[in-house]
Amino acid sequence: MIEVPVTNNTEKFNSATNSLVPTTKESLSGKFKLIFGIFGVLSVIGIISLILKITTVGFETKSGWGYYAAIVSLLLGVFGTAPMVAIAPTIAKADWHRPVSRIATMFTLAGISTSILAIPLIFALPPLVVDGIRRRSIWFDANIYTPHVFFGIAVIGLFFIGLALLWVTSIPDLSIMRDHSSGWRQRLGKSLSRGFIGTERQWISLRARIGMMGTFYFMFLIFVHIIYSICFSLELVAGWKDAIYPMYHAATGIQSGVATVIIGLFLFRKYWNLEDHIGIDQFWALSKLMFATTIFWFYFFICAFMIFWYGKSAINEMTIAILVNGPYMPIFIGTLLLSFIVPWWIIIWNPVRYSPAMLSVVAAIVLIGSILDRIRLYVISWQVYSDEMIHKRYIPLDEIPENMIAPNLLDIGIFIGFISLGIFAILLTTRLIPVVSIWERHQSILLTRHIKFHRTEVYAVGKPD
Amino acid sequence: MQQRRQLDEKQINRELLNGNLATPKWYYPVMGVLGVGVLIGFATILYMFNRGLGVTGLARPVYWGLFITTFVFWVGISHAGIMISAILRLTQAEWRRPVTRAAELLTVFSLLTALFFPLMHAGRPWRIAYWLIPYDWARGIWPNVRSPLFWDPIAIGTYLTGSTLFLFVALIPDLAILRDRTTGIKKTIYSMLALGWRGNPRQWQLQVVAGILLSALMLPIFVSVHSIVSWDFAVTPAVEGWHSTIFAPYFVIGAVHSGVSAVVTMMCLMRWLWKWNNYIRPEHFDALARLLIIVATAWLAFTFLELIFSLYGRDAPEIALRELQIFTWPWNLIFITFLLTGYVIPVGCWLFKSCRNNIAIMFWTSILVNVGMWLERFLIIVPGLARKQVFVYTWEGYWPSPVEWVILVWSFAWVSFLMLLFARFFPLVPLFEAKESQVFTTEMKVGRATVPMVIRE
Amino acid sequence: MVAEKQSKFKWGMAIDIDKCTGCQACVLACQAENNIPINTEDNFKDARGIEWIRVERYWEGEFPDVKAKFIPILCMHCDNAPCEPVCPVYASYHTVEGLNVQVYNRCVGTRYCANGCPYLVRFFNYWEPEWPESFQNQLNPDVTVRSRGIMEKCTMCIQRIRRGTRKAKRDNNEVMDGDISPACVQACPTDAMVFGNQKDPNSKINKMKNDKRSYTLLDHLKTNSNVWYLAKVDEDTDTHSKEGGH
Repeated sequence: MIEVPVTNNTEKFNSATNSLVPTTKESLSGKFKLIFGIFGVLSVIGIISLILKITTVGFETKSGWGYYAAIVSLLLGVFGTAPMVAIAPTIAKADWHRPVSRIATMFTLAGISTSILAIPLIFALPPLVVDGIRRRSIWFDANIYTPHVFFGIAVIGLFFIGLALLWVTSIPDLSIMRDHSSGWRQRLGKSLSRGFIGTERQWISLRARIGMMGTFYFMFLIFVHIIYSICFSLELVAGWKDAIYPMYHAATGIQSGVATVIIGLFLFRKYWNLEDHIGIDQFWALSKLMFATTIFWFYFFICAFMIFWYGKSAINEMTIAILVNGPYMPIFIGTLLLSFIVPWWIIIWNPVRYSPAMLSVVAAIVLIGSILDRIRLYVISWQVYSDEMIHKRYIPLDEIPENMIAPNLLDIGIFIGFISLGIFAILLTTRLIPVVSIWERHQSILLTRHIKFHRTEVYAVGKPD
Repeated sequence: MQQRRQLDEKQINRELLNGNLATPKWYYPVMGVLGVGVLIGFATILYMFNRGLGVTGLARPVYWGLFITTFVFWVGISHAGIMISAILRLTQAEWRRPVTRAAELLTVFSLLTALFFPLMHAGRPWRIAYWLIPYDWARGIWPNVRSPLFWDPIAIGTYLTGSTLFLFVALIPDLAILRDRTTGIKKTIYSMLALGWRGNPRQWQLQVVAGILLSALMLPIFVSVHSIVSWDFAVTPAVEGWHSTIFAPYFVIGAVHSGVSAVVTMMCLMRWLWKWNNYIRPEHFDALARLLIIVATAWLAFTFLELIFSLYGRDAPEIALRELQIFTWPWNLIFITFLLTGYVIPVGCWLFKSCRNNIAIMFWTSILVNVGMWLERFLIIVPGLARKQVFVYTWEGYWPSPVEWVILVWSFAWVSFLMLLFARFFPLVPLFEAKESQVFTTEMKVGRATVPMVIRE
Repeated sequence: MVAEKQSKFKWGMAIDIDKCTGCQACVLACQAENNIPINTEDNFKDARGIEWIRVERYWEGEFPDVKAKFIPILCMHCDNAPCEPVCPVYASYHTVEGLNVQVYNRCVGTRYCANGCPYLVRFFNYWEPEWPESFQNQLNPDVTVRSRGIMEKCTMCIQRIRRGTRKAKRDNNEVMDGDISPACVQACPTDAMVFGNQKDPNSKINKMKNDKRSYTLLDHLKTNSNVWYLAKVDEDTDTHSKEGGH
């Protein structure tokens, strides 16, 4: 057994606190206001576009909502699953996640734009019974507005659970803010930290709450993905029966979530000057995660495609026409390239995985791929929907539309506006709590050591039960 | 962390080689019983070859029954090895060390057993060798590459080759130890197998690199094997219960569930039979059970999705199939048993730390999981065929005949027999891993607490 | 593909359900023609009976207002046959004349084709076939006796097709419509079944297949079957059941 030297950590603790607390106040003060303003204006544009969309398009024109549905799905992935990057490694007791978890968890706040966007879409979703005939659905004989109600509750619930998760994980930091800052930050820190002073009992209950909230958030997220993907695209296409689709949706959501975290981490690290706290290790670990999720995209896709392609029945032919070789074939090829082939071939090289900048480029490629993927899935679903067709066993090949719908200005406005709203919300939080969680930094300092091992120096991690 | 004890290398060698350098008392009686089982099994198989498949319970339209179920089951068990050694090696989970060898061994032997079943279930097994395996250029007739049954032997063959290599690479340092501790003919054989291992830094480096490379290369095979097995079923639109896109990941995760459970069963037996209490400790069971909770829950989610989507279309034949599978005697009993044993009881137990650390409870729950997983495959394959399409004139049930049951029991005896045979000559717990684990784990003091520590490269 | 286009024949069958009385003559004729082992009562109880053509009977309505519908089901010789790609040894094979045939010699008995077949018209030989001594001379010399462990199915009496085409060639004649008929077609007392060449524009089968009553079984699976059914005319409702079997 190697002897581990006992070190005095107070100095390191203080330096971490002293370097991280001021980031809420100082960093980029002048430029920050400008960025803040830009995102604010864009958010307003987004909200205006949304109102215009509802008034001009109306809930009856289903094909007008395809791009809108795609945006909601994208946001569910990008903002909704990003916190998973914090939760999963915490459960696995990995050390590398500690500087990442706060950034990842902050994306729960961006869920506000998902929630706002999802509500109007619920009104556009056709009821389960049209003209007295019930369509195929996972709700079977339930009330005709069941999916609407459930999805509404689920998406708002997800937002609030996310907020709770963010709050629980930042309680120790809020208490640090209470002790180490002044003004409104101190006051807010005081009221939000609920008298946290770091007693053993408080820590135990805090850990239990983080574990519970994390698990709960994860389950809720998968639930939302399943409901959303089934009710807002799969059920709208007569005959599309694809059991892997909800899981595909969730897995690709996680893929885009990881990509978002990588880009966020890169930007914060660079512009907040956090190189001391966020190391290459974090990017290395995230790159492995992205590598895995990229393969997942392909695996889940091929699982579905294989069955449809080999099955060759009319239903299968229709499904392939809708998803792959139909009017949206260019988009599909784009997805295949940007979600799988290109990022996979870049990320397989070790030097790329060590370089935050390169990794962020790959993450950006993956995000574009995700956008295309969502367009491919949702726009056609809302395009082929019609009250007469939905009761048929399948849509005949010649009734599948020949041309794709192009997004209009409102769709683009909503897209940019609501992503900006999410970023705006995150930037707002960075004013109160640091982007790298101080208490987890402390934990990291406590539990990791560089120790001498024969002739080399090694890195050792403590793993408390 | 009081479970871990500091052991010196001599003690490790002595304790872990206790089954190789001497024969345990229980060894011959157990091998005798298993041997009789294996002989009866082979006799039954020969009888079946002689008489024809009429001796099974198969009938139209259930053309695939217990044999294919058991084939899928053993291929599923084989996913233990790579899950434990490759994935956990790549994610650097420290607790994998004592079980890697056993898990890989299980992979190799369960694959070997699984291969028997498609051969046995064929009408003219002697022809399979003739048409499928030796490629004959002169005849100009090739196997049909479009058939999933052709992808199967390729995937499984690759997996078997890879797993055997993996097992062997990890075995070399231990073979060298055995070489140094034996005499006579044994020494010669061990020397040949040890490939001149001296334990110098270059050899260690090569061995470690080979292990990592093989793990990474085996991962895609690991996923593809069970995906392809699932596609045997899923590609046929004629069988409503099979034609589901979820089958591949559903089978893979189910395989991991049953495979890791089988490893738990093995670990319990190893702890009891060879008294390796210092190496296989409750903390290992704890970690495996926690992994299993996640795997089992994901698997349940897939089961749920599969069911939901089978009823989603509300087609009459599909509903008839599910009615048979879930509500009709005796399938309803099987269905309930499958749910209880596959998920409810084991995961219910594993949620409690006291159960996770209790070897006996872990043993029985892990066996329950595999009972459930076998029933799951049976429930997928047989009712799906029995209620195929709308031609109700051909709907029929199926129940395996005694011959099939004997062959099922034989497969278990056969795997156990091979494992014990292996354990007599080679160590089941990798010695070098046990030693490495001694070096790579340590403890640190944080305030008043002592925290276990792991060294990372 | 090219060979299929160049071939002079594309065989097919049409069955008028309205004319079918469910007399089972076709089943018996098939049994005799193709050396199918005798289906004893035990065989049927085991669900191991082999019948290349079967007559399915459906009752409609409650007694006494009951109607019987019969539908003879045989191999559909699908152009897009689900049994063909799944066979690992190419035993299930498509000829250029549009027939789906089983190469007994190549078959290893994986029974995968039978699982793939939605019509359930493929049969497995569980035992070595046996006939009583007195039946030995009854066997058709043109048809192979299948050994145990292999699949078998309707061949559309390929031996008769070969005989017919060869005879036409020898006599320098064209194969005329009605020259060739499988045993079931020949035995049908009501002429419900019609066999013919689909490439002959004047053939009877082409007329029947373009009839407004015609449909194919399990159309949604897109097997492109070569056996057409003509729906039963129901004087009460006068609707044509397109579902087949229901």
